[in-house]
Amino acid sequence: MHRFCSVCVVLFSLVWPCLVQPQTPTSQPLGLTSLHEGNCSCALRLHHTEPTSQEGLVMTSRELNPQFYEASRAGRVVQHHLNTLYGSPFRVYVVTQVHTARTEDTGDDGMKYVLEFSVKDWASEGPECKASAEVLYPRGDVHQPPKVQSSPDGLLQANTSDKEQAFYQRYSAAAGPVSAKDIPDSYGHIDPEMEHFWHLAWVASSFIMLNESSENTLYSLAQVAKVTQLNIQDGQLRFELQVLLHDMVSQNINRWKLQVSWSPADGVQVLEMELLPRCHCKSQTRP
Amino acid sequence: MRLCLAVLVLFVAVHCRKVFMGDQVLRINVESEEHIHLLKELEDDQRWELDFWTHPVSTELPIDIHVPYSSLHVTKDFLQDNKIPFSVMINNLQDLLDEEQEDLQINNIKECNAKSFDFGAYHTLEAIYSWMDTLVSDYPNLVSKMLIGTSYENRPMYVLKFSTGGTKRPAIWVDAGIHSREWVSSASTVWMANKMATDYGVDSSVTSLLDQMDVYLMIVNNPDGYVYTHTNVSSFSRMWRKTRSKNPGSVCRGVDPNRNWDAGFSGPGASNNPCSESYHGPHAHSEIEVKNVVDLVRSHGNFKAFISIHAYSQLLMYPYGYVCTSIPHQAELDSVGRSAVQALSSLYGTSYKVGSICKIIYQASGGSIDWSYDIGIKYSFAFELRDTGRYGFLLPASQIIPTASETWLGLKYIMEYVRDHPY
Repeated sequence: MHRFCSVCVVLFSLVWPCLVQPQTPTSQPLGLTSLHEGNCSCALRLHHTEPTSQEGLVMTSRELNPQFYEASRAGRVVQHHLNTLYGSPFRVYVVTQVHTARTEDTGDDGMKYVLEFSVKDWASEGPECKASAEVLYPRGDVHQPPKVQSSPDGLLQANTSDKEQAFYQRYSAAAGPVSAKDIPDSYGHIDPEMEHFWHLAWVASSFIMLNESSENTLYSLAQVAKVTQLNIQDGQLRFELQVLLHDMVSQNINRWKLQVSWSPADGVQVLEMELLPRCHCKSQTRP
Repeated sequence: MRLCLAVLVLFVAVHCRKVFMGDQVLRINVESEEHIHLLKELEDDQRWELDFWTHPVSTELPIDIHVPYSSLHVTKDFLQDNKIPFSVMINNLQDLLDEEQEDLQINNIKECNAKSFDFGAYHTLEAIYSWMDTLVSDYPNLVSKMLIGTSYENRPMYVLKFSTGGTKRPAIWVDAGIHSREWVSSASTVWMANKMATDYGVDSSVTSLLDQMDVYLMIVNNPDGYVYTHTNVSSFSRMWRKTRSKNPGSVCRGVDPNRNWDAGFSGPGASNNPCSESYHGPHAHSEIEVKNVVDLVRSHGNFKAFISIHAYSQLLMYPYGYVCTSIPHQAELDSVGRSAVQALSSLYGTSYKVGSICKIIYQASGGSIDWSYDIGIKYSFAFELRDTGRYGFLLPASQIIPTASETWLGLKYIMEYVRDHPY
């Protein structure tokens, strides 16, 4: 059963190492704040913030049209970020709409986008929740991934733990390793057996898409080219994936190979990732 | 489709009983009035269950009798005893019926296919081209097929022209499938073409539109690319976007046909790298697929709207892409766009954004609707259909008809507006 979200503010601060080693996804009951502890050496801080700040805005602040591309791209970065934290074979988030957006030029640190948006979990068909976030795109000659701070307004997570456990049990004990390709297929069809691997690929790809994002990208998972189950290790299901990632801005589609682990307790982790060269062309260099 | 199936099933059911196994049809060549008399008596006496296909009337005409297997001997004996000459016209009636039934089934299926093309499925280029012919033959007074040129790999490029007469009436251009991986754009336009044809004479708005204006529909603007997306050369082939022209000095093929138009050509938002998905090509209109449309539109000279259908992102956009400055008709096109999207959303609540290409999605030079606007076609729009990234280019076939139905409402709004605002 889904309930409407109520206003509840939780702010947590993340440092870069956390983006490759996610915290344990936990359900956040409404109205409560909590500290995360996981296999992540983060300093977590709870902070109260008002969505509409009454402080004087920085001189270099600019209001954005939430329908236009700057806001959409920043919203997509937040989406990738949320999936790295909370995604699972049964939970995949989408930022459905950006309501307000503004930029703050922080100078050397980079360009900061401050957004209010709606988000929902489309894998378990959860309710749409409102939240806010800040996206900082670092400046510099060498690409660095954007940094995201989010304050979900009571990010309600559907209770998927039973399903996750069942899925975990099933594929821990499976007679043979799972192997599939082209999800969805050319016609948009997905075998019902493969649906949760598609979700897993979305979440795993979010790590890459977040890494690769800039103010000039808009990434989606175009297709799972291959999924192959590997041996269980340390209680984690492991998979090798090949995914096609589409960037709307350049319209390019890149193929990535990644090794992923997952368990209900530890969430999705990307152990290895590699950009595969395309056809006979030389390996892609970063745009 | 269901009616065809029902008829088929009934036919098969009726004939599956094999009631005529071994029956023969004899042809009697009567020579005398006495023969006629005898056969008339035979006809009246029904104990051998003879079925006279033609009746004993005169010596001029042969008499054909269907003789059940069980009565074959006695009937032949009777004819021989009375020296009535006959020949076996059909040796085994059931065999003949079986053959006919087979032919009928095949024809029924063919007919079923032609009249009930599956609009809710993605089709090959061949199938789409073949459907075009059936649409034209079903609506010969409304729809004609024009060959506007060939593609790089020599495939025909067709446009369906909807016209109720006149000479070069003010016209609306609609194209789909310029980017071959955007399958739902062509699939939706097939459905909309059919809808427009069936609505003429039924829906007052469509009727008045086509009574005043012509509509040119190009279903597959990039046939080479479209065919390539159906091959299984690599898992990338389904994701092919560009044309298939060879680029001298490069292993990479193809030019982005929507960066190849003469509108800010080779400016920002297009690549000069042949391996890029947004490669603009060596010069404007270098791609034959683009040139064919340019030539048609220019030589026609009376297009009032130019609408290009793409996927995905759920957007309705107007010029410019090549610069972010507003066009003179910004306010009007924005208003038309918003109303069109309102109509579209009314069906399933699908949400679309409206704005100029440059502001909504990205700066992109060499685009078709920028070109059309700059040559004076005021009502220039581009659709990006479903979805917003979940399935992306691989939109499930089950969404084709819903997408087409809602898009039709938006497109129709724009076309009606163009009809009502001549310039």
